[in-house]
Amino acid sequence: MMDAVAMTNERNQMFRDLFSGKTPQRVPISNPATQDFAIQYAGLDLAECQWDLTKLEQVYNKFCQDFFTDTYPGGSIRIPSHYQILGSTCIVMSSSGFMQHPEVVGLLAEEYDQFIASPYDCLVETILPRLYTELNGSPAKVAMALAKAMRAKSDDLAYLGTIQAKMNAKYGYATMVRALTEAPFDFLADFLRSFKGISGDVRRCPDKVAAACEAVLPLMIKKGTLPNSSMLGATFIPLHMAPYLRDKDFATLYWPTFKKLVETLVGMGQKVELFVEQDWMRYLDYLYELPENTIMRFEYGDAKLVKEKLGKKHIISGFYPVTLLQTGSKQQCVDKAKELLDILAPGGKYWWQADKSIINLDVNGPVVENLRAVLDYVHENGSY
Amino acid sequence: MIDLQVLTQAVGDLDEKAILTMVKDFVATNPSGEDAQKVVFACQQGMAIVGDLFEKNEYYVGDLIFAGELLSQTIDLLKPVLSSVVTQKVGSIVIGTVEGDLHDIGKNIFGSMAEAAGFEVYDLGIDVSPGAFVEKVKEVKPQIIGMSGVLTLAIDPMKNTVKALNEAGLRDSVKIIIGGNPVNADACKQIGADAFTTNAAEGLKTCQGWVK
Repeated sequence: MMDAVAMTNERNQMFRDLFSGKTPQRVPISNPATQDFAIQYAGLDLAECQWDLTKLEQVYNKFCQDFFTDTYPGGSIRIPSHYQILGSTCIVMSSSGFMQHPEVVGLLAEEYDQFIASPYDCLVETILPRLYTELNGSPAKVAMALAKAMRAKSDDLAYLGTIQAKMNAKYGYATMVRALTEAPFDFLADFLRSFKGISGDVRRCPDKVAAACEAVLPLMIKKGTLPNSSMLGATFIPLHMAPYLRDKDFATLYWPTFKKLVETLVGMGQKVELFVEQDWMRYLDYLYELPENTIMRFEYGDAKLVKEKLGKKHIISGFYPVTLLQTGSKQQCVDKAKELLDILAPGGKYWWQADKSIINLDVNGPVVENLRAVLDYVHENGSY
Repeated sequence: MIDLQVLTQAVGDLDEKAILTMVKDFVATNPSGEDAQKVVFACQQGMAIVGDLFEKNEYYVGDLIFAGELLSQTIDLLKPVLSSVVTQKVGSIVIGTVEGDLHDIGKNIFGSMAEAAGFEVYDLGIDVSPGAFVEKVKEVKPQIIGMSGVLTLAIDPMKNTVKALNEAGLRDSVKIIIGGNPVNADACKQIGADAFTTNAAEGLKTCQGWVK
């Protein structure tokens, strides 16, 4: 048995190879189940554990022990403490305890010009107070809320970081860093204008939408910048709105600033990982245009077509349907993993991830067994 | 009187300015409730065009959302002149986003299209517990229940809701359709729903088939 440090080195090398376009020794694997799943897997209450992080070390210990993965399996974690202190309306906890993003309006249609003229000022003065109730009121009160929230956030992140370091040391995971940002159009839709609002804007005032995307681009670049561009890791960009747009709106409103974002980050020496949400098959020629070795994790679509069109230039991931883990037999789940491995692994440039994260667990359901079988199958059969 | 064919086409084209101008001009003539009803019908036919264009991949989800917004603006304008008319509904549907999930875009698109097609729609909102579905079904006795969910976790609460309807002895009194990102034929079977869709226009056709 290799020691954990050697395993980390080996895994880091696997990802360095993958990210630079070389064929790694085997297909790298990331467990699609997240912290939310892990808490339920440990039999604990999801909401409570996100408030009381002291229970999480045992949660991760069991989770890491029972499911194979090459990277730390935390997923995108939204810590409730600072969101609640700020009175967040844009990231909230549902009755199940899962933190999520409901439809919100941070910017009114008549405020476009203000935003375009000075996006940062508009965010601070107009948008944040609208999205976070505690950022309203006297400056002293707002300052206190902000200070408390940031303190809570950094405390929680430090605590989670300690757990991650322990798990990395114990299980020998690859040590990758991550930054997160959004395509300008998606940021505009998700936090400023809402899905509904932007859908009207692209017809009523497309010029303003385009100008707002240009205006916010520098902030999106800054948000996606890693502490050091030579670090092993990637800037994660979850893509959202493109599948819901007409081709011409995508071409004129979504694509130009998104392409600039990716090109700028890559130009700084960083890797970029896209979560290509929903179905992008009609945009494959656009995706081809992105800088070489952009990582693309797909949700839906035709894996064969993607391998054929993009597989020589970019790093392909995703496609494995997590719903199958919930509805299929173990054999069906493994067969699907084999099918995707046969299509996507040849020639390298493949990272095994699922089409989306697994965020919940029906304890009586088949997900645990099926997931374990699939991860083990890919681990054992993904060698080059 | 307004040219109904032109209005239908304007709705199909999602031509907001043309629609609002025509409808405002019409309302200004102080029309009868019956004529207003004809205008609503013309808008409904326009929404059917929108649904067709969506199925042909000429329109996408963003266009459906915009269409829903145009339609509700139009109905708001017409309300004062419609109030005297008793409208005949084609059926009734209880809809909601299932427990644990806060996403409502898909549900709202389906709801506005179903309303446009003449259904009485009872929208329970988001993060709806199985018990809340059961209570509403007892109260309004709909023909159809529509459960929506986007998160991968949505399948389990859908299953729990069907179970709760079963336990309350209500399952056989309704048809159940599920919609949203994680649903497919296998999930539908496991949940015990009657139909599934990831496409609001198609889902509406299924519901129309049920109430014929």
